[in-house]
Amino acid sequence: MSKPHYDRNHHVEKATDIGDPQCFKGEAGKPRFKVGDRVRVRNLPDIFYTRTQGYVRGAEAVVAELVYESPPAEDESWDNTENVEWFYSLVFKMADLWPDYPDYFPNDTVETEIPEHYLEAA
Amino acid sequence: MSDDKHDLHSPAPMVDEVSEFEVLELAVRELAIEKGLFTKEDHNRWTEYMHTLGPAPAARLVAKAWLDPEFKKLAVNDGVKASLDVGIDWINSMPTNFGTPSDYCNLRVLEDTPKLKHVVVCTLCSCYPRPILGQSPEWYRTPNYRRRIVRWPRQVLAEFGLQLPEDIEVRVEDSNQKSRFIVLPVRPEGTEGWSEDQLAEIVTRDCLIGVAVPKPSVTANRKRPVRRAVNPYHH
Amino acid sequence: MAETNPDYVALDKEMSGKNLDNSPIELLERIRRKGRTWKDLSAEYGVDNPDPPWRINLESTCDNLAYGHNGPLNICRPVDQREEPSNKKVDAVERRWEEDQLTNELYTDVPFPERQLLALAHTMIRRGLFGERELAVQLKKVSDRLNMVDGIYQEEQISNTETG
Repeated sequence: MSKPHYDRNHHVEKATDIGDPQCFKGEAGKPRFKVGDRVRVRNLPDIFYTRTQGYVRGAEAVVAELVYESPPAEDESWDNTENVEWFYSLVFKMADLWPDYPDYFPNDTVETEIPEHYLEAA
Repeated sequence: MSDDKHDLHSPAPMVDEVSEFEVLELAVRELAIEKGLFTKEDHNRWTEYMHTLGPAPAARLVAKAWLDPEFKKLAVNDGVKASLDVGIDWINSMPTNFGTPSDYCNLRVLEDTPKLKHVVVCTLCSCYPRPILGQSPEWYRTPNYRRRIVRWPRQVLAEFGLQLPEDIEVRVEDSNQKSRFIVLPVRPEGTEGWSEDQLAEIVTRDCLIGVAVPKPSVTANRKRPVRRAVNPYHH
Repeated sequence: MAETNPDYVALDKEMSGKNLDNSPIELLERIRRKGRTWKDLSAEYGVDNPDPPWRINLESTCDNLAYGHNGPLNICRPVDQREEPSNKKVDAVERRWEEDQLTNELYTDVPFPERQLLALAHTMIRRGLFGERELAVQLKKVSDRLNMVDGIYQEEQISNTETG
């Protein structure tokens, strides 16, 4: 954890004229996964805030794209921007999320973005 | 937007009367300009900018992409850069000057194909690409849409009047992090030889969210019928 | 119960000290009494646009007064062509605070956005940005122009104020 501080402007100063998430580019290091990898979303405990949906936790998906680098929302909500990581766009089969999804539509999918620390190789 | 209630050939009704308030607005504005508080250019260009906060730039982006394969490539690979060509600067736009009103500026343009149909939702709240689409429609923000589109997408799409064949992949894009999304639909048949202006006109807001597909004769969003959930979601 | 925003409480304190003059301005009182609101007009003419056509111009005037010459305009310019804003005359938060007070005391029965317009004219007069007489003269000019019938009245004046 970073030490608490109350500098309200650091994000503005970092992101102005560059954009967010663009301003974190190059800070995440080497990505653990690549396009096409099969991954599983870990059901990690979160304190008060998360943007990793309940319905994708525990489900398997394929990496469709490495989208950008950023601190995870779970940290950023506490103003902790130390742990910048890769974000992956994942494609889930509907049938893997909802056991009773109708068989007539086996191709249907959900795509959503998940930060690296929530992922493990499947 | 056209209105079903009116005859296609009769002009839309308008207020044919100058009100005291209309006069006051103009008088205040003119005095401020006369006093040098701001200039006519300040006012004109800013008003024009506010007018364009709607789906028009995104519709233009789609029309351009249909006509120019190189631009389509750029749009799909770098939506933020492609937006500049339709007058939208994600990085320096209002009000924070470093991105969208929610501070994030990673636009992704989702390309539909004859076998793949995208539809956008934010299940966690109501993230929406406001700089390029304007304010979201009320239904987009309702828990009903957000909860059900990700669970029963074909049923919800059917409620919007969009029935898709079995072999098409419906891909629900859940906008949960820092990307914002618009859909680049397939160019419909019957639009051969159309100009960019003509094409932009049929790319409605609903097409850009993905709950409709463009049709040569349709230039307005449908009113969404309110139906009760047939298959309510329960854990 | 919802918690009151502490910033608003501070502003309330600060603004109360400024002794805002909420007394009626005869010219604006006349418009308040006689003016037909968009609510009435749109109902009468069967128009379903919720806002009067001048609303966006009013918003633009407020933004330009708040952020000054070049302020909002900079947003429409490339970064390297922006200019230092000047003449920030009516701070946005202050204006809204005044609008709330004036709505409570003077323009209670006026719907939105007409009340925003009355409150803006009110505060501009009270701040000395223009006088009541000046505004009266301008109102007459604009009214004559908008109500003209032959269509050739003072063209150059019109091109000065029409928006794109």
